[in-house]
Amino acid sequence: MKRYTYYPGCAMASTGQGIQTSIDAVCKVLDIELLELEDWTCCGCPGESINELAAVAMATRNLAIAEGAGLDVVVPCSCCYRNLLGAHTIFIEQPRIRKQVEAALKAAGLEYKGTARIRNLVDVFLMDVGADVIHSKVKVPLNRLKVASYYGCHESRPFGPDDFEFPQWQDKIVESLGAETVFYPLKAQCCGGAQLFSQTDMVRKLLYKILDDVEKHGGQIISSTLCPLCFTNLDVNQGRIRNREGKRFEMPIVALSQLMGIAFGLTPKEVGLNKNISPVLKALESYTKVLA
Amino acid sequence: MSTTIRGAKTFVDEVASEPGGEKINECIQCGVCSGSCTTVEWWEFPPRKIIAMIRAGKRKEVLSSNSAFNCVTCYLCTVRCPRGVKPAQLMHAVEAIAEREGYRPKTPTLKLFRSLRNSMNRGRIWELGMALRFYFFDNIWLGVRNVPLAWALLRRGLMPLTPPKKVNGEKQVVAIMKKVEEIQRAGGKI
Repeated sequence: MKRYTYYPGCAMASTGQGIQTSIDAVCKVLDIELLELEDWTCCGCPGESINELAAVAMATRNLAIAEGAGLDVVVPCSCCYRNLLGAHTIFIEQPRIRKQVEAALKAAGLEYKGTARIRNLVDVFLMDVGADVIHSKVKVPLNRLKVASYYGCHESRPFGPDDFEFPQWQDKIVESLGAETVFYPLKAQCCGGAQLFSQTDMVRKLLYKILDDVEKHGGQIISSTLCPLCFTNLDVNQGRIRNREGKRFEMPIVALSQLMGIAFGLTPKEVGLNKNISPVLKALESYTKVLA
Repeated sequence: MSTTIRGAKTFVDEVASEPGGEKINECIQCGVCSGSCTTVEWWEFPPRKIIAMIRAGKRKEVLSSNSAFNCVTCYLCTVRCPRGVKPAQLMHAVEAIAEREGYRPKTPTLKLFRSLRNSMNRGRIWELGMALRFYFFDNIWLGVRNVPLAWALLRRGLMPLTPPKKVNGEKQVVAIMKKVEEIQRAGGKI
């Protein structure tokens, strides 16, 4: 049994409900215990663009609480992951900001020593659990399914640990499930999720590029990063974008953990597929019906 | 008024003293940031040019352009920059100055960021409340356009109608934000 401190992030309770369900189910299969961080708050990412100090202070509040348990802090959402790790890095590297942050935390009666280890959930799946263990848990191999892994930005940029130009870790997990991986160049391109509310046209053009690239390279299904922002942006918007032939995109989109759950023989409901907007049930029909 | 009084703070110093802008003087104007930028076609001035303009002291032009606000923070520029300038962070510094001083670039994003920042004070984010506040107060037409999108989420219960439960940390968050504001008003002094 591996134990971690778990920081879900705000979006997991709303747009990421399906992903959260699947993470819980998959972690049970893989013998991982995620202990939700007590009294966590926003990671500070919403304020990052116009008030960096506030963002860093918000992030370190969570880290200050997490530090006491001495476990690795695991974050599924890429934005939260980057922001917590970014705040930690700034706290360590920039003494001037560190002093200001320390003063702000002191006002709330907290103290951060700078010892938290922040990790991505995909990192835990691949490095702590391992592809061979994941492979051994597979009950329904996803044979002949062409899966395009979408990484988004912050899972590997700017802190890694995966390669920031051409990440591969999700592909390795997908391969261990028995599926075929699709090579496509834009797998770590930004989906524009940060500005979904304000710049709808810009976001749709960015999404078009990604979806078109997947279609062009023969992807049948997108296995997205565990970030609810990237996932929802792809899921909810694609039906409003037209592809080269003038038809609306109908690319099935699942989160990586949902795909893992299906391969582990869990039912669609147990991995939260009922919350997905894109036509995923149809795409995964032949795999979900095997055990039923 | 482009004359600089000796000892007075120039625009480039101002940006360099803002969190994120520290490395601006390391830039060698190679243009990798502009070439890598995901959204550069929407920028009034590409990132390399923004850095050049900041150094040339074009304060008003930089702060009133929509450029920095179109940054989606994808960090392609940051990981590729040969000098470690961190252009994405630099754009945040520009955004912060523009927001603080009440510039009005032609983009709805500034107000979105403001709503987002204010929504942090509750402790956890309530997406629907944040979106409604942003659309009703700042951008009603954009809100109307996005109704089908919101409906798709609401129908599946993916956008809770009620705010998330209050957390004990809320008081701490309020205290932290108050102190941050205090520090910033004092110009970084504690």
